[in-house]
Amino acid sequence: MKNTLLAVLMGALLVLGFAPAGHAEVGVTDTEIHIGQWSPQTGPAAPWGAVARGTDAYFKWINANGGIHGRKLIHHYFDDAYNPAKTIAGVKQLQEQTGMFAWVSGVGTACGLAVKDYLMERQIPWVGPSAGSRHWVTPPQKHLFNVYPLYLGDAQLLTEYAVTEMDKKRIAVVYQEDDYGKQGLEGARHVLEQHGMELAAKVPVSISDTDMRPHTMKLRQAKADAVLVFVTPGHVARLLGTGKAMNYEPQWMSTTTCGDFPLMIAITKGLYEGVITASFGMAQPTGNVGGIEHINNPKNKLMAKYKTEVYDAYAADDERWGYTFTTGIGLAEPLVEAIRRAGRDLTREKLVAELEKMENFQGLMGRITYGPYDPDDPLCRIGQQEIFLQQCTADGGSKILTDWQKTEFIPMSE
Amino acid sequence: MIDFLQMTVSGIAVGSSYALMALGMVLIYKASEVPNFAQGEMALLPVFMAYMLIYTYGQSVFAAFFGALAFAMFLGCFLEFAVVRRAKNPNILGLIIITIGLEMVLLGFVSWKFGADQRVMPFPISSYSSFMFGNVYISTLDLLTLVAALVIMVSLFLFFRFSRLGVAMKATQQNETAARLMGIRTNRVKMITWGISATVGTVAGLLLAPVFMEPYMMWDPLLKGFAAAVIGGMTSLPGAVFGAYIVGIVEHLFGGYVSMEYKAVVAFAVIVIVLCVKPSGLFARHYVKKV
Repeated sequence: MKNTLLAVLMGALLVLGFAPAGHAEVGVTDTEIHIGQWSPQTGPAAPWGAVARGTDAYFKWINANGGIHGRKLIHHYFDDAYNPAKTIAGVKQLQEQTGMFAWVSGVGTACGLAVKDYLMERQIPWVGPSAGSRHWVTPPQKHLFNVYPLYLGDAQLLTEYAVTEMDKKRIAVVYQEDDYGKQGLEGARHVLEQHGMELAAKVPVSISDTDMRPHTMKLRQAKADAVLVFVTPGHVARLLGTGKAMNYEPQWMSTTTCGDFPLMIAITKGLYEGVITASFGMAQPTGNVGGIEHINNPKNKLMAKYKTEVYDAYAADDERWGYTFTTGIGLAEPLVEAIRRAGRDLTREKLVAELEKMENFQGLMGRITYGPYDPDDPLCRIGQQEIFLQQCTADGGSKILTDWQKTEFIPMSE
Repeated sequence: MIDFLQMTVSGIAVGSSYALMALGMVLIYKASEVPNFAQGEMALLPVFMAYMLIYTYGQSVFAAFFGALAFAMFLGCFLEFAVVRRAKNPNILGLIIITIGLEMVLLGFVSWKFGADQRVMPFPISSYSSFMFGNVYISTLDLLTLVAALVIMVSLFLFFRFSRLGVAMKATQQNETAARLMGIRTNRVKMITWGISATVGTVAGLLLAPVFMEPYMMWDPLLKGFAAAVIGGMTSLPGAVFGAYIVGIVEHLFGGYVSMEYKAVVAFAVIVIVLCVKPSGLFARHYVKKV
C-alpha cells in the first residue's frame, strides 16, 4: 500500500514538475529575456560593430528603467569579424547552449544569409537585420521581420531627385560587387528607364580595391554629372579625393550606409560637403524640409533623449555618438515594442502576432508596418519603406532635402 | 591617346607605393630569405604611432613622422632580435608562418589600441592637389611618392654597393657562414636589415595615410608589393621597383580597357605569366651554392 502511494506521489510530482516546462519559452525566464546578436567587432568591417554596442546600451537603459514586465533583457552579442562561417558557429552555440528567445539586428547580408535558414527552420524570431537586402523578404518568412529600408529604394529616390530636381542628364553608378551594390545599380536603372534615360556609366568596385583612379577616370570619360555611390565609406572617401585631384567634381550621391556626415566630413577632410545621401531616420523631415539637423545637438526629441539617457550613461568612453551606434537602437526598437505589447505571458507566437499587428510604429527610424503572414507578399515583412534625402553641410550637419518618400518594392528577377 | 597616357601615369603613381613595399620585402628576403608577410603591419604600427603623436601629444607633423620612422627602425630590429632569431634552425615554411603570426599580432594590437574607426593623417601637402600636364593629371602626393620611391631605391642601391654595412649585408645574404668567418656579425646585419625594411615600408604607409587610414590599410599595398617583388625576382632592388610599376600600369590599363571587375587580381595573373616565362623573376641573378 505504502509503495503504491509513493509511486502515485512520485508520478504526480513528475507530472506537476514538468508541466510548466512544457509551456515555457526558450530564452524566457521569470526575470530574463535572452536576445542574441552578431556583429563585426574586429576585421575590416569593424566600424559597423557600433550597431551591436548601440543595441547593448539601449537594452541596459531599458533594464535600468525596470525592464519589460518585470524581466530584464539579457543581450548576448558576439564578434563574427564579418565572416559568415563564424556567424553560423556563434549563432548555433548561443542558440543551442544558452537558448535565445529571439535575435535582433545582425550586421551584413552574407552573415545574415548564413544563418537565415537555421533560424527560420526553428521558428526563432529575428527582427531588423542590419542590411537593406531583398533576401530578408524574398520569399517572406514568418519569423523574419525586416526594418532596414532596402538599398533599392535609396537608388530610386536618389536617381529620381537627380533627374527631376537637379536636372542631371548623365547619371552613373559606382557599385560594390555584391548584393548592396547590385541593388543600387538595379534601382537606378529602374528609375532611369521610366524617364527614358540610360546609365552614363556603371563602374564596379572590388571590396579589396584601394586605388580609385581607374574608377574615377571611367566616370570622367563618361562625363557623368551625377554619380550614385554604393560602396563603403572608405571607398567613398578615396573616390571623392581622387575626383577632386582630377578636377572631376560631379554631384556625388550615396546611401544610408554613407550618411554619417560628421564621420564622412572628417575622413574626406571636408570634401563631403554638398554630397546627398538617403537617410532612414534619426531626424524628422516632416515639417523640417530645408532645416539642418546636427547629430551632436539633435532637434529630434527621441534622438536627444537617447543621447543623454542611453549614450551618455551606458556607452563606453571611447564610443562615438554616430549613426552606426544609433542604428543599433533603431533596429531593436520594434522588437522591444512587440515584447512590451505581448505582455507578461511572453511566447514567440505572441511576439510574432504583436509584430504583425504593428502599424506605422515609429521610433528612431521611419514608420514601420507589418501584416499577417502571406508567403506571396514580401510587403508583409518589409517593415520600413520610406526614406528621405539629406545633404551634408560644411560642419557635418544634415540639410533635409525631402519629406519621407515611399519607395517601390521591385521583386527579384530570377 | 590621352586616356592611355593618363592610365599609364596613374599606374606609375600607384606603382610607387607598391614599389616602397616591394623594396622592404626584397631587403628582408635578401637578409633572411623569407617573404615577410608582416611587412605591411611593420609599417602600420609606426603610422598609427605618428597619428597618436600628433593628436594625443600635440607634436608637429614633421616631428611625428620622424618619430614614426625612428620607431619603425627600432620595431624592425626588435622583431628580428626577439622573434625571428629565436627560431632554431627554421625552414622556410616555419619562417613564413612566423611572419604571418607577427602580422596578426601587430594588426590585432593596432585594432585594439586605436579602434576600427576610419581616419586621415594630417599632411603638409594636400592630398587633393594635383599637377596637370595638358589633360593628364598626377596628384601632388602621387608625385611625392614617386620621388620617394626612386630616391630610396637609388639610396639603397648605393648603400649596398659602396657602404661597409651594405656590402656586409650582401655578403651575409650570399653566404652567411663565409661572411661570419670574415668577421661580419651576421646576426646584427640581419637585425639592421629588418629595421631598414620596416622604415622603408613606413615611408609608404605615411604617404598612404593622408588619403585614408584604418587598421587594414596596408593589406592591399602589401599584396601588390609582394607581387612586384616576385616579378622582379625577390632579390633585386631595381627589379622590385620595375615590377611595381609593371603591376601598377597593367592594373590600370586592364581596368580601363578590359575589365574593372578583375582589375584588383590582374597583378597575380601577371605573376603567373612572369614565373612561367622566367621562373626566377625578371631581374634575379642566380647564386649557385656549391655543396
